[in-house]
Amino acid sequence: MDPQADSPVSFLPHLEAKIRQTHNLARLLTKYAEQLLEEYVQQQGDPFGLPGFSPPRLSLAGLSGPSPSHMGLPLSERLRQDAAALDALPGLLDAVRRRQAELNPSSPRLLRNLEDAARQARALGVAVETVLAALGSAARGPGPEPAATTALSTANNAAGIFSAKVLGLHVCGLYGEWVNRTEGDLSQLVPGDVA
Amino acid sequence: MPAGRPGPAAQSARRPPRPLSSLWSPLLLCVLGVPRGGSGAHTAVISPQDPTLLIGSSLQATCSIHGDTPGATAEGLYWTLNGRRLPSELSHLLNTSTLALALANLNGSRQQSGDNLVCHAQDGSILAGSCLYVGLPPEKPFNISCWSRNMKDLTCRWTPGTRGETFLHTNYSLKYKLRWYGQDNTCEEYHTVGPHSCHIPKDLALFTPYEIWVEATNRLGSARSDVLTLDVLDVVTRPAPPPVTTDPPPDVHVSRVGGLEDQLSVRWVSPPALKDFLFQAKYQIRYRVEDSVDWKVVDDVSNQTSCRLAGLKPGTVYFVQVRCNPFGIYGSKKAGIWSEWSHPTAASTPRSERPGPGGGVCEPRGGEPSSGPVRRELKQFLGWLKKHAYCSNLSFRLYDQWRAWMQKSHKTRNQDEGILPSGRRGTARGPAG
Repeated sequence: MDPQADSPVSFLPHLEAKIRQTHNLARLLTKYAEQLLEEYVQQQGDPFGLPGFSPPRLSLAGLSGPSPSHMGLPLSERLRQDAAALDALPGLLDAVRRRQAELNPSSPRLLRNLEDAARQARALGVAVETVLAALGSAARGPGPEPAATTALSTANNAAGIFSAKVLGLHVCGLYGEWVNRTEGDLSQLVPGDVA
Repeated sequence: MPAGRPGPAAQSARRPPRPLSSLWSPLLLCVLGVPRGGSGAHTAVISPQDPTLLIGSSLQATCSIHGDTPGATAEGLYWTLNGRRLPSELSHLLNTSTLALALANLNGSRQQSGDNLVCHAQDGSILAGSCLYVGLPPEKPFNISCWSRNMKDLTCRWTPGTRGETFLHTNYSLKYKLRWYGQDNTCEEYHTVGPHSCHIPKDLALFTPYEIWVEATNRLGSARSDVLTLDVLDVVTRPAPPPVTTDPPPDVHVSRVGGLEDQLSVRWVSPPALKDFLFQAKYQIRYRVEDSVDWKVVDDVSNQTSCRLAGLKPGTVYFVQVRCNPFGIYGSKKAGIWSEWSHPTAASTPRSERPGPGGGVCEPRGGEPSSGPVRRELKQFLGWLKKHAYCSNLSFRLYDQWRAWMQKSHKTRNQDEGILPSGRRGTARGPAG
């Protein structure tokens, strides 16, 4: 896969269909991620939904947002990082859902959206790995440590409620950033849509 | 049984209990870059963390800058509550690194996840946060009512308490147990017929009383309702008789009584579900004029499946509904619960006057000088009486007989036009049962 090529790569029809399908899924999940974030901030109360609200940016060990240098990487490496992030996100979203089930038990829509997001991230991650495998690229590079989810769960339980709300906001934000990044990276593979 | 028990936090701030993960380790907090202490990834800590308070109470809180932050001072710090900056006169410096806050007469929490109290640096950045839970303990739930659809299940609903809003998430749990033995059971299917309801689908005993109650719990305490004792058999209800639509079904049938203008006959079939059980049913009928909202109820229908409504207005469309009560299950004389009303069936009584061209039964063609249709009818009636009456006593019965004879002999248009608002043929045919 050479992102520097002047002409689009020619793919087998089934691979082309799979790439389109995965790209469409990523595009759809980008919209869902925005809705999830809106629902989340609404349920936490102000100032979470106010413009200019900027809590300290937290760094989860093993998972952060796409780095500024992400776009400079080879496409295969970008997709590997996308897959790795999507593989870590379901556990983090589940941890947020469990905490929100205690904080907002009467908000079934938020809880359902978090559950759906975990499932959808998992599906998108698998789809990206399938595309990578079909392209002959290994799916797993140096991915996030499995302890990221455990760390979030325990920190979630031990930290104050305000911090738990901020952590959940951060995870929802990461979910949106990574599905959006995945959609952008896949768009370079879609025949006819090469940037 | 106490009506309500206040929780451990009444007037002072209280940290609510929280489960600890079996994998908890303070070291893991470091992966987040979080200083140990519980205020999250900030350079300060608020105390108390996540207190629970009664509405109207006061709160004293502090925001303390971490000592390891070089040059850090509490000068210039400020507070916000739910995104709104608090007046500076509510806070004061306790020392160079601690800003204190005093809030009085707190209102109920704005959201169930807690009010967000935040300590900000001078530049507006967030240093720490704490969530306040301000509300009321739950009141005793009351007015529990239960019913069974099939003698196997039980649905109950209740009223949460006269005060209503507690501003805190309040959990309601429906409990039940056999009266003389057995352990407490907890209902699991909530919100089946409204926000304060629960459904027990199976494994219920018959012919023995259950004790049922509701427990309400929130961060400020708990309350328990009075116990309701019932036998499932005593609260069985049945679905309505088969529904009646504007296309009259075969089951609820409303028809005219010959030519009688003030009567309608109502017939129905006993619901099939009742045949499986050895009990009787009693029925109730209600009816109203088409453009009225006032129903009249006929109570004494007993176990029969037909009834004649009398004293109705002629030439008027009526809506009729039927419901049943399965009393006398297995020989018991205790009344069950009334079913829902069947869908309305419409029918009209014959019209007593014949307006319009070609419609007149009682208006002779070429007409005599008209002095009103009723008077003309009466004149004809008296003429008929002279010929046929062997009894000089005038009576409504005789008058009815005459009218029925008149209608049969002239085949009035009303019977041919139909009686339903949709214009379709009605069910009014033949004599009533």
